[in-house]
Amino acid sequence: MKTLTYTSLLGIFCMLAEILNLRKFIIPIALVALCVIGGLTYCDLNVHFEPFFSDMLRVDNFSTSFSLLLIVIAILLIALSYDFYTAQKDKISDYISIIIFTLCGALALVSFSNMTMFFIGLEVMSISFYILAGTNKREVRSNEAAMKYFLMGSFASGILLMGITLIYGASGSFNLATIAVYASGQNPDITFYIGIILVLVALLFKVSAVPFHFWAPDVYEGSPMLITALMATLGKVASFAAFYKLFAVCFVDAGSHFKLVIAIVVALTILVGNLSAIRQDSFKRMLAFSGVTNAGFMLFAILLPNENGGSALFFYAVAYALSSIAAFAIAIAVSKFSGSEKFDAFKGLAHKHPFSAILLTFAMISIAGIPPFAGFFAKYFILSSAIKGGYFWLAVFAIINSVVAFYYYFKVIIMMFSKPENEDSFSPNFVYITVASIAVLITIIAGFAPGVFFIH
Amino acid sequence: MLAILDVVSIKYYLILSAFLFTIGVFGVLFRRNAITIFMCVELMLNSVNLLLVAFSTYHHDASGQVFVFFVMAVAAAEVAVGLAILVTIFRNIHSVDIDDLKALKN
Amino acid sequence: MSLVEITFLILSVIAIGSALMTVLSKNPIHSAIYLLICFSSIAGHYLLLNAQFLFIVHIIVYSGAIMVLFLTTLMLLNLNEETEQHKPAMARLGALVAAIILGLVLVAAVSKTATLMPMNNNTVDIGSIKALGKVLMDEYFYPFEFISILLLSAMVGVVLLTKKEKTTVA
Repeated sequence: MKTLTYTSLLGIFCMLAEILNLRKFIIPIALVALCVIGGLTYCDLNVHFEPFFSDMLRVDNFSTSFSLLLIVIAILLIALSYDFYTAQKDKISDYISIIIFTLCGALALVSFSNMTMFFIGLEVMSISFYILAGTNKREVRSNEAAMKYFLMGSFASGILLMGITLIYGASGSFNLATIAVYASGQNPDITFYIGIILVLVALLFKVSAVPFHFWAPDVYEGSPMLITALMATLGKVASFAAFYKLFAVCFVDAGSHFKLVIAIVVALTILVGNLSAIRQDSFKRMLAFSGVTNAGFMLFAILLPNENGGSALFFYAVAYALSSIAAFAIAIAVSKFSGSEKFDAFKGLAHKHPFSAILLTFAMISIAGIPPFAGFFAKYFILSSAIKGGYFWLAVFAIINSVVAFYYYFKVIIMMFSKPENEDSFSPNFVYITVASIAVLITIIAGFAPGVFFIH
Repeated sequence: MLAILDVVSIKYYLILSAFLFTIGVFGVLFRRNAITIFMCVELMLNSVNLLLVAFSTYHHDASGQVFVFFVMAVAAAEVAVGLAILVTIFRNIHSVDIDDLKALKN
Repeated sequence: MSLVEITFLILSVIAIGSALMTVLSKNPIHSAIYLLICFSSIAGHYLLLNAQFLFIVHIIVYSGAIMVLFLTTLMLLNLNEETEQHKPAMARLGALVAAIILGLVLVAAVSKTATLMPMNNNTVDIGSIKALGKVLMDEYFYPFEFISILLLSAMVGVVLLTKKEKTTVA
């Protein structure tokens, strides 16, 4: 509860900082404050809390772990924006405050226990994303990304609302605990099931699962790169946490009718994401499709609600988010230097700046799922619980696909270690290298000591 | 006082709001003008509001009506942001036709 | 048929008819006007359902704020012409089929509902300002405060997006 409150206050402070002439100090203040909030959140681990504010929010180990991950993501990405927005210093307070408001929405999504907070959290996050996607307003591609994201997002919100309303109509409450009791009771009404289907469709939209993924590559490509990183990590992790809370905890009995549908969606998401990623020549678009594939893997956790499901999802989220941030950090530095987001821009990076090439290699290896990085164990936990849960065919299918995925992750690595075409010296700002190093370091730690990241 | 839901069954409200919702969805898929698409999204949200109020009266529970407030606030914020995005896009390409958005196609 | 039923029928027919016209009319200004009629008939439904406070708020927010926003943008961008082309025939057919299927599923499902039960049977007034305010400021206090974050974010964002950038002086 205090995490969300303090983060909201921090966002409001950053907004007002411009008036107080603190523009130069906004990013350091925001980083320090987020570290403090992270520390306070860490103290909440293993403490039992009563529900807050008439059961609007519930703080447990699941929500605290995810909040910590989201705060770490936000810290890393806000640190990156130090250099990213150098051209627009006069708007920095607006950018930072909207990014922090996005974090507020995401925090509400991992700790809600009432449909109201779920809906408002999702909207706070999505509306901030619509704005951020369009912040590069001279660029038509950025406008277009914002428009597409807005149209798809608000359409999905309408569907989600209809679902919530039908669930309310059947169960008579917005409270998750009451709905869970209704869902596991004697034959729930048919409107309840229709409501669950509509909520499912809307959430599949938000996490960009096939067949509702078509907006993601366009939006990810058109948005400014930092915002793409924010959407691909913060947005996806928070949506999945909410997805898990709803489908693996709340609707668990009524939701078991949709197991087959979700299994097919998982298979399609992994397959389509992979096949599309192979064909890309833009690094950003490749990461977007890789995000679609990874969404498929995270959907496994929704398929298998058991006591380890939350831990497996959290571990996967840590591995995916931090590897992606490392990759994005280096990619932002490279694209800033060369002005291109294509694979060619990475050619000869190992000769120009070996350390960043090594960081990007580690990030790619981690996303691809090769030991000893976190990505391997994340896939291992998810797939082993899938086999235990009786989805052997799906697990085999996913393993084949992750082998195929090596192709496009290694394409970047080979490109970096090939001979450079020119001898320009490339010296990225230390911020990018620091952020990427921290992210890679965490994935290595998570790879060697996975137990630290389990939710107890 | 006469309670409406004793006379008109809740089913009719469900059907009415399902119709309005479907028309909204149809409009979103059918139209090309971005402003009209926003209007259709508003129509979808309104059908939801109507159903929420009906359920709220049906269950004698005020939280349904409180939820309508939140939906209204969200709808207002969404429209403001959507129209702002529309204005930025109009400044660049002088059109609000969503099929003219082709810069990001493969 | 009682008076209430007749009112319900008339309001419903107006709502559905004007909603259809919103979707089908070519001129965006006409769409906006039809949408206004549709909102007004929904406001009538709120009165029927004895939600007086929501009736007022609905009129103020939708007919007042949101429609004015729409119309201002339409006038500002000078879009009051019937220039919109149709989507390709296949896309239009697809939209029609998808909408009909969705409508059939929704209507068939909701008209099958048998076990839908009212959860409370008290007869307290819930639609008045007093009753709603108590729930809003007590049980729903946190979301009520949290929605201010949404409005702030939207406000800052709209200014950020639409403010004309200063022309860079060399």
